[in-house]
Amino acid sequence: MAERMTFTINGKEQTVDYEPEMMLLDLLREVLNLTGTKHGCDNSTCGTCTVVMDGKAIKSCNTPAAKAAGTSILTVEGLAKGMELHPIQKAISESGAVQCGFCTPGIVMELYGLLEANPDANEVEMTNALNKHLCRCTGYEPIRDGALIAQKMIKETRK
Amino acid sequence: MMKYKYVGQPYNRPDAISKVTGKAVYLDDVRLPDMLHTAVLRPQFAHALILSVETSEAEKCPGVVKVVTGKDCKFRYGDNIKDLQPMAVTKVRYIGDPVAAVIADTAAHARAALDKIKVEYKPLPVYTDARDAMAKDAALIHEDMDDYWRLPTLKQASGTNIANTYHLVKGRGEEGFDEADVIIEEEFNYPLGSCAAIEPHGTIVWFKEDRTIEVWSTTICPFIIREDLAHSYDMPVSDVRVHTPDLGGCFGYKSDVTTEQTIAWIASFVPGRPVKWVGTREEDFTSTLLAHGIRTKMKMGAKKDGTLVAIKSIIYHTGGAYADTAVNVTIASTHNSTGPYEYKHCDLTGYTVYTNTPAVGAYRGYGHQESQIATERMMDLMARKLGMNPLEFRKKNFLSEGKVNAVGETMWKHNGNLLECANRVDKMVFGKPKPAEDDQFVYGRAMVTVMKSPKGAPFSTKGCYMKMNNDGSVNINMGGAEVGQGLRTVIKQVAAEALKIPPEQIRIYTEIDTQYSPYEWQTIGSMFTTQGGRAIIRAADKLIASLKSTAAQVLKTDVDYLEYDGEFVFLQNDPTIRVAVADLARGYITSDGITIGELAQSVSDARLPRYSNPDKNGQGSIGVSYTMGSQAVDLKIEKKTGKVIINHFYSVFDVGQVINPLQIRGSVLGGVLMSIGAALTEEVVFDKEGRITNPHLFKYHIPTYKEAPEQTIEFVETPDPIGPFGARGIGEHSVIGAAPAILNAIYDAIGVDLFEIPVTPDKVKAALEARKELK
Ligand code: FES
Ligand code: FES
Repeated sequence: MAERMTFTINGKEQTVDYEPEMMLLDLLREVLNLTGTKHGCDNSTCGTCTVVMDGKAIKSCNTPAAKAAGTSILTVEGLAKGMELHPIQKAISESGAVQCGFCTPGIVMELYGLLEANPDANEVEMTNALNKHLCRCTGYEPIRDGALIAQKMIKETRK
Repeated sequence: MMKYKYVGQPYNRPDAISKVTGKAVYLDDVRLPDMLHTAVLRPQFAHALILSVETSEAEKCPGVVKVVTGKDCKFRYGDNIKDLQPMAVTKVRYIGDPVAAVIADTAAHARAALDKIKVEYKPLPVYTDARDAMAKDAALIHEDMDDYWRLPTLKQASGTNIANTYHLVKGRGEEGFDEADVIIEEEFNYPLGSCAAIEPHGTIVWFKEDRTIEVWSTTICPFIIREDLAHSYDMPVSDVRVHTPDLGGCFGYKSDVTTEQTIAWIASFVPGRPVKWVGTREEDFTSTLLAHGIRTKMKMGAKKDGTLVAIKSIIYHTGGAYADTAVNVTIASTHNSTGPYEYKHCDLTGYTVYTNTPAVGAYRGYGHQESQIATERMMDLMARKLGMNPLEFRKKNFLSEGKVNAVGETMWKHNGNLLECANRVDKMVFGKPKPAEDDQFVYGRAMVTVMKSPKGAPFSTKGCYMKMNNDGSVNINMGGAEVGQGLRTVIKQVAAEALKIPPEQIRIYTEIDTQYSPYEWQTIGSMFTTQGGRAIIRAADKLIASLKSTAAQVLKTDVDYLEYDGEFVFLQNDPTIRVAVADLARGYITSDGITIGELAQSVSDARLPRYSNPDKNGQGSIGVSYTMGSQAVDLKIEKKTGKVIINHFYSVFDVGQVINPLQIRGSVLGGVLMSIGAALTEEVVFDKEGRITNPHLFKYHIPTYKEAPEQTIEFVETPDPIGPFGARGIGEHSVIGAAPAILNAIYDAIGVDLFEIPVTPDKVKAALEARKELK
């Protein structure tokens, strides 16, 4: 039997019906058609499904949909303000961090979870966050470059 | 040196924005009206006869629309050998062979019903290695192999599991070893691996009521799929439409026909409704194409002075249950097992062998790293035996200008300056002293030189459509698949240079759709920049010619008096007599409303110049364009654990002309890291029953952020006369050097020779033990 819950998705409160065994990833992709969040593996290894729940980056593939009730979820679709990209999106899109782009939404959301809460994140924190994401294309160096540029941009806006 | 305006600049990729905003549409993001979903049943055995399939229970499950089996499937498919069927009919040959499928309203319902299908099998002997499958008394994996259609250049060994034997002889072949003073012989292994793109495979097929088929797939060869499906379902090619959406990485295994025929077979049972299949990560390992699986036995002969005289290689290729895709990998691996060196005599043999493993297909590098692991290790072993410096020994034998490679092509200056690449890498890696062994670590360094040829085919064409709009902006449509390599940026920059207009005025296609896109064979072999670039320049030349011919009528002059600068067409001797390009784009409209001339648009194509099939000794002209380079590693071994830690990796390639410095660095960074993964951790492991024991990313370990070493990457630019503005292909080359460089560096560190990868900590620990015994 389908269940019903209310949560905030990309700033808008919404009530949805979902199957109890559903994971948050399926709720986002299949029920809400928010396909920006990706599904890259079966065992919570790749990080492509990362979204931000109440300010924290989490893997939506191993988070039961029911857990979203009453929370505020941000997906990659919710970052840009109209045509204006979030600094993380801007930095990542310009640093060479995007090749095939399949890992990109997860990495963008990971960095959002990290840098919005802690713009002064140190190298270890940054490394630990990015190490949760597999990228087969870039060799990671351009992702690091993009993350550092993003951090700088965010710090500047906070000044 | 010639300077270009747009070529050589770090333009950003046109698809970056859609990818950071989550708006790029990948296969799994495609939703169609009334769409159904399918899940595929895989067997419990890797080699077995199918005695019966019972589907009635599954049919009763919630949401199930249909259960499909291979019963009554009459056709086979394949582009080199027609040994494939969309679904197993009488037997299964590997652990991922499709046995049956459930079509349901949701993917979850389809998957849930799979358990209810009952299949009875009679198990047969299982072979997961070419050598075992080649044994005299081995059971046959394809009993009817002789009946299969195959390319006339291929030859099976009847009554065995050998799907093809490729043989190349140059000079006196093996007899040539009588000229050698020193001969060495060793065997190497580059085991099965996976491309493991982060996006798994997926396919949607829709048999429509209007008797057309529409397909969306994670494929870089939509035109091949179109031709294949048309052939299998006996329809005109024009009635099959294939889309390639955004691709989440390819690295080879989304080339050729992989899952499309299976999903088409399933969808053919529910005509009128689109059927979607998206592979799980496990299926991506078990049921799409694997990579490598190559053992190389190599014999090398040299004169005392370090001149190579003869090489003999035997490639044993674990080709998998179907050899259609493996056979060309074997061939490429075999004739490129020479590395970038000249030998008077070559005797090269490649066996593509049927085994009970998933079919092997393309992987970035296409056979080169698999056999050049042998070549580059042998070069070090031979240098040691000759008492020569390994680099000096290599230099003496480089395939430089005027030398003749194994297939009989004479090398030209434009094949690149390998010497310069090697010298630069040598300085980089050996420029400072090696740290001495300490309590924790022992250090090693080594360099290698590598080459890669394109792997062409007679019709390996790339098309280009170009149209100019009434403001002078240009739309370009091509069939090249954007897998992340950045070919759209390359198109933009090459077209801007050729048309003399800023890249901002050029918009590149965002998806491939065989209904609108120009023909492209497939986007493989590091060929897009070279061939696609040539097609763009040809199209631009035609478009400019058309603008000039319209302008000649407007300006009342002969065409050959006209010049074009991107903005105007004008008289050579009086640039004030001119007409704006924008005014010519739709033909020129006079003040009284008469239109003169023609629409500014053009069509072109380009292919490998003078590609031909090799003769019976494997001699011919296969590519023209080679890219060569040198790579090196600086590593340390943790003595306690045997873990190999890469400190720094160096690459220098002669790419002719850098088109986009940001992208080309990104390409090499990624390629090097992939190949470090192959060298250190990646191997698809089988148990005795032919089951894959690690079909998940947490067990098949690809390199993570923390494991990425610092890299130094440089390019030499010896312009290529064929590629656009001097550029050569570079997409795959970066993956070739890591494995042999790492093995050579391990020898440098501990004096133990290793012959296979991945060099996991346990193997290195054993080597450390062996070293103690040596001491
Ligand atoms: S889908 Fe791979 S970690 Fe969630
Ligand atoms: S850009 Fe392709 S996986 Fe990261």
